[in-house]
Amino acid sequence: MEKETAGKILTGSTILKYLIIHWKCETAEVSKGALLEGQLVISIEALNSKHQANTLHCVTTIASAGSIYGGLVLKKFLKEIQSILHGFSAKLNWTSEEASYSQDTSGVTPFQMIFEVDEKPKTLMTDCLIIKNFLHKIIIVLPKIRFNFSVKVNGIFSMEIFDAPKFGTTELLCSRIHPVLGHPVVLFIPDDVAGMGLLGELILTPAAALCPCPKVFSNQLNRISSISIFLYGPLGLPLILPSQEQPTAAIFKDTSYFIDWKKYHLCVVPNLDLNLDGDLVLPDVSYQVESSEGDQSQNMDPQGQTLLLFLFVDFHSRFPVQQMELWGVQTLLTTHLSAIFMESHSAVQDSIQITVGQVLEHHHQAVKAHQKLQASLSVAVNSIMSIMTGSTSSSFRKICLQTLQATDTQEFRTKLHKSFHETTQHRFLHHCSCEVKQQLLPERDDAEQSTEDAHENSSLELLAGTSGQVGNKRLKGSSLHQGVEETRAFRSAGALSPSEAARRRAEATVSPLTPSRSRTGPGSGLEDALWLQEVSNLSEWLSPGPRP
Amino acid sequence: MAFAPSGPEASFFEVLDQHRASLLATLRRGGGEPAGGGTRLASSSEVLASIENIIQDVITSLARNEAPAFTIDNRSSWENIKFEDSVGLHMISHCTTRKIKSDSPKSVKNFALILKILSTIYKLVQSNTYATKRDIYYTDSQLFGNQTVVDNIINDISCMLKVPRRSLHILSTSKGLIAGNLRYIEEDGTKVNCTCATAVPVSSNIQGIRNLITDAKFLLIVEKDATFQRLLDDNFCNKMSPCIMVTGKGVPDLNTRLLVKKLWDTFHIPVFSLVDADPHGIEIMCIYKYGSMAMSFEAHNLTVPAIRWLGLLPSDIKRLNIPKSTLIPMTKRDQMKLDSILKRPYVTCQPFWRKEMEIMGDSKMKAEIQALTFLSSDYLSRVYLPNKLKFGGWI
Repeated sequence: MEKETAGKILTGSTILKYLIIHWKCETAEVSKGALLEGQLVISIEALNSKHQANTLHCVTTIASAGSIYGGLVLKKFLKEIQSILHGFSAKLNWTSEEASYSQDTSGVTPFQMIFEVDEKPKTLMTDCLIIKNFLHKIIIVLPKIRFNFSVKVNGIFSMEIFDAPKFGTTELLCSRIHPVLGHPVVLFIPDDVAGMGLLGELILTPAAALCPCPKVFSNQLNRISSISIFLYGPLGLPLILPSQEQPTAAIFKDTSYFIDWKKYHLCVVPNLDLNLDGDLVLPDVSYQVESSEGDQSQNMDPQGQTLLLFLFVDFHSRFPVQQMELWGVQTLLTTHLSAIFMESHSAVQDSIQITVGQVLEHHHQAVKAHQKLQASLSVAVNSIMSIMTGSTSSSFRKICLQTLQATDTQEFRTKLHKSFHETTQHRFLHHCSCEVKQQLLPERDDAEQSTEDAHENSSLELLAGTSGQVGNKRLKGSSLHQGVEETRAFRSAGALSPSEAARRRAEATVSPLTPSRSRTGPGSGLEDALWLQEVSNLSEWLSPGPRP
Repeated sequence: MAFAPSGPEASFFEVLDQHRASLLATLRRGGGEPAGGGTRLASSSEVLASIENIIQDVITSLARNEAPAFTIDNRSSWENIKFEDSVGLHMISHCTTRKIKSDSPKSVKNFALILKILSTIYKLVQSNTYATKRDIYYTDSQLFGNQTVVDNIINDISCMLKVPRRSLHILSTSKGLIAGNLRYIEEDGTKVNCTCATAVPVSSNIQGIRNLITDAKFLLIVEKDATFQRLLDDNFCNKMSPCIMVTGKGVPDLNTRLLVKKLWDTFHIPVFSLVDADPHGIEIMCIYKYGSMAMSFEAHNLTVPAIRWLGLLPSDIKRLNIPKSTLIPMTKRDQMKLDSILKRPYVTCQPFWRKEMEIMGDSKMKAEIQALTFLSSDYLSRVYLPNKLKFGGWI
């Protein structure tokens, strides 16, 4: 990956991280297991500096918008963040409307933090991309937070919203992934790191999934074409920023350090072609799977599937965990994760290997099932063609052609094949491991099915991009201007709805083969409740540790 | 054509003749043979049209964006089978069914295989050629997997189209043998005379047999090939002439059953079974007499309810003082099978059979026909069977 120079703007990400830690901890005190919910606005306004050439004076504002659920105690937060950023040279302003501060859980005082820095245009552009990537990764794990990120450079305005979209009929039968949770392992802490005052345990829990869901593409033979690894620290905060030196990622340069890919007949190489300035969420580690000779003989989907591997490192302590301690853990992991992983290499390797193995086994089974289906349909089509073309009854042949609106036997064969695929694929999607949705929705009539099919098709487009994509809505202010390229929205054709990506994360608690729980009742309202329940489980899972 | 002069005196067959008269009287009282239900012989054009109708239904479903499915009768379900004394076990008119769906991962392969075999049958009928089930299996053994899959699908198709297997131009391999006072002409013109010293294999095309001629006083169904060969060696057919004996070599194949049925339908001569005194032998006898669950949809063409149990009866064991050392203890499996047979509906109308089975169950012992050789090597053909036949020792 092109080495990006971190700018001072990235202090915003530090603030965001700590904000989330603080917010999460305080919220948990108020209501254990409650999700962080609210909207944050991050805006950067940059104007040409009056004092330096080729420099932009940037004013970054982080503010809340509307009410924020939870126990964000601003005063306490401000005190703590200032101690974290005590070396920060930029001008920092903090404001809050304390008059409307309320202790109840229905809302928290809107707040605002502003800091000003001078940046080179290119650095600003890079920082913006990094922040976007960071926000994408956050809402995968914390889907109820919404971010408004806007950038105004010398009057040119652009905004993107990172959130989970509304549910409704646009939701698809299976536009989700089915994460397999691995077995948590305790990480041994190297002596030099242990001396940093960590009073608790670090636990690694891997989660893996294939994207898109194998059943969605049951008509194509899927191969694994890429592997994306995402690293998260306590409370689901991304561990690595693309701009940083990546000592953590160093251990992943050896593709087989944690996973023996040969067991799955995969030839994996590091993917060095990572471009932050792209439409996709940049994984922390990316591998490419090279095709083997055997694959070339088959009709393979050239794009293939992506294996997503989420590595969650959480912190657990018998003692009450303070925000600052969590911040310390976050910082420690950012700088020492590599050493910590190496110290527990065997345990980490086993846990990841088993998790990945399960997912790939599911994939293998899905491919086999698909092949079986294809073979069966081929037999069915050939048999019908044999009878139809061999019949001496002209009326029979005519009826066959007319029924499928074909003009000749060649066209008839094509339509026959297509019809079989359409009828079986739709039904096979119902057999997807997303059985929760099956239980929610009763037998639908053709009209509804057609609608769903259409949405499924659009979801296939949405899933066409690389994994980990998170959709966002973008409001474009104006065209490109000098110095800073316009931040591009995700391709609408390639973007996932954030709810889907967030739901992916939430489904880490759900076994892909069995529904997590049975639910009854139709309607999108119940889906919301279902989603909240799923995410609440995730919240508990990501809790910072036992409270007194 | 005169048969070789042999066999006992005419008086030997008095009881047999009386038995035959009784059977004929029963038939007349019952209004002749029961009307054939289930399957019926169909012409080639009818079979082709039936298959084309099925294909049309499949295509119509697809055109409506519905996944096509086959509806198959549950042939092997007791809830779909009833017993009639005059027919045996046969399928009820409105039986339960199951769907073979094309959009179910579990059944899509079966769906495709049904179409595959339908297309094979279509070609056979169109070209007026025949093939055995084994031949069909070998057309694509990898696809089918095993013979049982093919056999079941063929039976399902036969049931679905309501035509016998032979109308589908699928022959079953015959393993049975026949010997005795019988001659006929095969469909291809081959003349068959079963009075040869060696037995004649049962034809693969029973439907095509014509010009059956016999003077036989009885037809003896022998369970095992070993017993059959022993009787051949003992020249039983000549000693008891005129008679016919047939063996299915264990569980009978379809052609052997069809032949027995044809001989009964044509001549109405007494039919007796000679089986081991064990549950397995009794079950084989029941297949000839009342039919099997699997083929219940073709019962009317296969069963001969007039069959009588000649031997080896469990009561014969004690009566003849057969040494206990020749008896074999019944296994748990034997006991389970015996219990199963006793529960079957047809045993209710056979009190003597029930009694014999109860004797067997009480003694917990079984005996093969070969146990009679402990009395003397030719006891079976020289003493046992002649006495049974002369004095009406059948039930």
